[in-house]
Amino acid sequence: MEKKLGVYICGGCSIGEGLDLDKLSLIATKEYKIPICKTHPALCGEEGVGTIKKDMEAEGVNTVVVAACSGRVKYDVFDFGAANIVERVNIREQVVWSHDWTKQVKVKTKDADGKEVVKEETQRNDDTQMLAEDYLRMGIVKAQKMNQVDPYLLENVEKSILVIGGGITGLTAAIEAANTGYPVTIVEREAQLGGYAAKQRKQIPTKAPYMQSESTNIQDKIKAVTGHSKITVRTNTEIARISGAPGQFAVSFKPAGTKSKWDIAPKKKEEEAKDKPAEAAEKPAEEQVELPADMVKCEDILTSDPDAEVFGSVIVAAGGRPADPSQFEHLGFGKFANVITNTMLEEAAAKGKIVRPSDGKAAKTIAFIQSPGLNGDDSDFPYASSVTSMISLKQANYLTEDYSDGKAYIFYKHMRTPGHYENFYKSAQNNPGIFLSRGEVKSVTENGDKSLTVEVDNTILGENVAVNVDMVVLAAGMTPETQFEPVINLAYRQGPAFRDLELFNGYADSNYICFPYETRRTGIYTAGNVRQTMTNGECIEDATGAALKAIQCLESVNRGMSVHPRSGDMSFPEFFFQRCTQCKRCTEECPFGALDDDEKGTPKPNPTRCRRCGTCMGACPERIISFKNYHIDMIGSMVKAINVPDEDEEKYRIVAFVCENDAYPALDMAGLHKLKYSADIRFIPVRCLGSVNTIWIADAMSKGNDGVLLIGCKYGDDYQCHFVKGSELCNKRMDNVAETLGKLRLEPVRVQQIQFSIDEYEKIPEAIGKFVEVIEGVGFNPMKGF
Amino acid sequence: MAEGKLITPDLNFVKKIVNSGGESLKKCYQCATCSVVCNVTPDDKPFPRKEMIHAQWGLKDKLFANPDIWLCHQCSDCTAFCPRGAKPGEVLGAIRKLSIEHYSFPSFLGRMVGDPKFLIFLLALPVVLFGIVAPYVAQLIPLQYLEGSTRPGNLLEAMSSSERIVYAERLMPVPIIDTIFGLAALFAVFGFFMGITRYWKDLSAVNGKPKGSILNAITATIAEFLAHKKFKKCDVTVDRSKSHLFVFYGFVGLAITTTWAIFYLYGLQRPSPYPLYDPMKILGNASAIGLLLGISWVISNRMKNAPKAGIGSYYDWLFISVVLTIVVTGILSELLRLLGVAILAYPVYFIHLVAIFFLFAYAPFSKMAHMVYRTTALVFAKSTGRDKEIA
Repeated sequence: MEKKLGVYICGGCSIGEGLDLDKLSLIATKEYKIPICKTHPALCGEEGVGTIKKDMEAEGVNTVVVAACSGRVKYDVFDFGAANIVERVNIREQVVWSHDWTKQVKVKTKDADGKEVVKEETQRNDDTQMLAEDYLRMGIVKAQKMNQVDPYLLENVEKSILVIGGGITGLTAAIEAANTGYPVTIVEREAQLGGYAAKQRKQIPTKAPYMQSESTNIQDKIKAVTGHSKITVRTNTEIARISGAPGQFAVSFKPAGTKSKWDIAPKKKEEEAKDKPAEAAEKPAEEQVELPADMVKCEDILTSDPDAEVFGSVIVAAGGRPADPSQFEHLGFGKFANVITNTMLEEAAAKGKIVRPSDGKAAKTIAFIQSPGLNGDDSDFPYASSVTSMISLKQANYLTEDYSDGKAYIFYKHMRTPGHYENFYKSAQNNPGIFLSRGEVKSVTENGDKSLTVEVDNTILGENVAVNVDMVVLAAGMTPETQFEPVINLAYRQGPAFRDLELFNGYADSNYICFPYETRRTGIYTAGNVRQTMTNGECIEDATGAALKAIQCLESVNRGMSVHPRSGDMSFPEFFFQRCTQCKRCTEECPFGALDDDEKGTPKPNPTRCRRCGTCMGACPERIISFKNYHIDMIGSMVKAINVPDEDEEKYRIVAFVCENDAYPALDMAGLHKLKYSADIRFIPVRCLGSVNTIWIADAMSKGNDGVLLIGCKYGDDYQCHFVKGSELCNKRMDNVAETLGKLRLEPVRVQQIQFSIDEYEKIPEAIGKFVEVIEGVGFNPMKGF
Repeated sequence: MAEGKLITPDLNFVKKIVNSGGESLKKCYQCATCSVVCNVTPDDKPFPRKEMIHAQWGLKDKLFANPDIWLCHQCSDCTAFCPRGAKPGEVLGAIRKLSIEHYSFPSFLGRMVGDPKFLIFLLALPVVLFGIVAPYVAQLIPLQYLEGSTRPGNLLEAMSSSERIVYAERLMPVPIIDTIFGLAALFAVFGFFMGITRYWKDLSAVNGKPKGSILNAITATIAEFLAHKKFKKCDVTVDRSKSHLFVFYGFVGLAITTTWAIFYLYGLQRPSPYPLYDPMKILGNASAIGLLLGISWVISNRMKNAPKAGIGSYYDWLFISVVLTIVVTGILSELLRLLGVAILAYPVYFIHLVAIFFLFAYAPFSKMAHMVYRTTALVFAKSTGRDKEIA
């Protein structure tokens, strides 16, 4: 496509007052020789947009540079269809709203008597004008370097959804997805559908007034699933492997509990060590693990199973396993017959009246223990949560239902009944047979008749007490299935399981509030207890959400679009393989495991797994990875387009690469609040700091800029990066940059990364000011002018 | 080790509190707002928070032997400020009721008075006594020995005649009344004695023997009662202390009147009725009016405070009704007698007698007993230093 640029400068929202627009126009017309450059007092108005449209029709303009407000607003107004490129130059939030338009200058003049006097005069602020000019230069260059996006389309997008797990979450997800018309297959390891919900007497309330436990209705759900024309059920089945990518996942099934050649081979210790952080890698690699005798030799991940079934997306509703509380010896679990867990009680209660496991006699008094207690320990059982609190309340009610003289003691450190569940707590509390007290359980001892004595310290009764009970029920938590097994068994080079499980107690890595259901494996969504301990009601809600995400993924893949967080982005990374050195950095660093390299180490891209963050582009030392509208040359050229003043002008120049997700909006917010900061800094938005290639920093420094600032999201275990690892990887790369700078006799402090979240916008001027001070401290870039 | 700490929550006791006007008991979540707003609690181990959890856990022994439940005057400040609607004031009222029942002798009467199911039987006793037995007995006693009784027993005739109304002649001869009420009073005193003895024993067993002078404690307690010193500290239902004061002094006045009358009858051998200008009569009438005003005020206060403090239990209202019946029928009996409305006067007087019997005979079991138990608890609390303020 032959590009024809048109530059349009808006004078509205104070831009016209703060800047000399005629002078600004000269950048386009004189410097870049663009014949079409127009200014308009309100470009976003009907007349302004009309001007652009007229030029598109009459002059053939197909690449529009709009110098006005931030690209984060009025994007609908300046949308001229997919066939035309639009580049927005932000001279409102980042120029006139955040910088002084004028400055006071002392001017020497002669008064009437011919005497020399110094007068203060208000002049237009050159710095602000220069800033706008640089942004316009960068915008024009960017528009010139940007190419039309050509979406990646799979030949065949499989629209069926695989649901792993046939419990209440899996069943709900299947019904929800199937009811919208998508074929669903449920795979369940057990012989029966229903999971733990089928083993419950009742469930914690799911609807107003949230007072009483209710029937689980799980049998209705099972019936709905088995009778559904769009749902296939595979019981007694497990997943050997899932290979491929969203839209084309190839799934190999196997009978539950068996081995298959399509299993994913366990990693050799050596390889595992390589994946671990540096200190782990330093340990000497052990010899290859001895494979057990019954181990079937597994096929390589790139070998495809001809019998695999194809699915478009996957919902993981694998649930969890009840935790084993026998580690808490003082509670006697595993030692005394009448000390059981909440799950054991639930299963027994579903079958009939509550009786003592030791002799089958009526259990009329039960102590429910919420926290292990002992030695002032405040923690609950592992994996316990508000759900275990509510299970105890529910089961205490079972007891008083079964026996009018039943007494249920609940000893807790924390009683958590969030939101509407407070009503459930209130109604349980109002039951005369339920006795609640905070306390630390000191011991559980068995008496001659197998009854138990529970000693509890620091109760709310104001003293240490002991009660005799028929049974003790421990509020053990539910451990996510992903803690024990990969579940998804991905034929991915980065491994079969979700990543960094150990950071999140075995739960899949995802921001469960901001981006629920998301995982670090595109097209694979978690729901229910595998994600977080949940009540049945929460599982149902979660399943519905995950079903929508699975559908959204299919429909995005179908259109060649990215899913979260760059939903709708049609660009994707392309590899210039002739120059690939097989360093594997892209494969290893991709936060989403989108790349599988072959034996030689050549990456095999899976574009539908890609989230378009550009981390691979930032990683590639050969710079062979690029997007049509986001590539090394484009950003590099933008950096080079900045007009760096000579040293004698006494002006510093700083290039800042700014994360589009949080930092850039924070800058807009700062502008909106008219917060002022240095005009020496030039912001370049990037998809993620992970996409920042060190060559851009070299470009900036060699052009004579005095510093480079990288503004991105918080990294670490409690990261805020939308691409999980981007800002962390960037930080690691900066260590290398600092080294390189040192070699060049440049101060390493000239390049810094700062972490910013959107709500910290008011700290923008301070953060920038600090960096400017640092640069002023080290002085001008000695390479200026070379 | 566990033995000493072993507690056995009594589920039935919890249910009893719930059924005795403390139905909000289980709502308490132990925030202790109640103990903070209470003006009459000691600062150390304040009530009613701890009483609420003890009650929720059915630990009746801890509650009964705890004088604090009687230090509470049910101001209802706690109830008004309770964020959870647990009405600690009402709950403590119910506990006090159960405490009276617990120590009552014979205990079956304690249970009967607190339970509306048995009201009919409790009423039946005096009705039968006065309605059937008394006239029957009256026939058997040689009435000629009774001065002034010329035509005894002809009640129906008397009711339809226009002759002077003399209750003692036509309805209930004085010796019979006095015998019955004397016995009833003795029974009550005996009941109280038994109850209080047990109560004191429990108090001492759990809290330790009193250290200070009991006599001083009694004096201080009585002084406090006469002025309603504690009661006046109430905020939300401050008027209750005034209405209670009226009722209190009404009763005191009537008690003096009764003693005085006994002196007239048996000391001076002067038969009733006595003229209106007689000082004894003046005191009696004044006390009756005081009591009527007091009890009406009590009722109106209860209605007024109901939204904040709760309406009260059956136990409370039974007692209020009995007092109201006594005072209304008492005043009416006198008025009707003076007006000569025989047809109404005799039945009203009959009701009056039944109500008084109810009050006397059941005193150790009804809310009337609170005066004795509260006195005992306060004397104990003062002598052990629990109620420091006045002791």
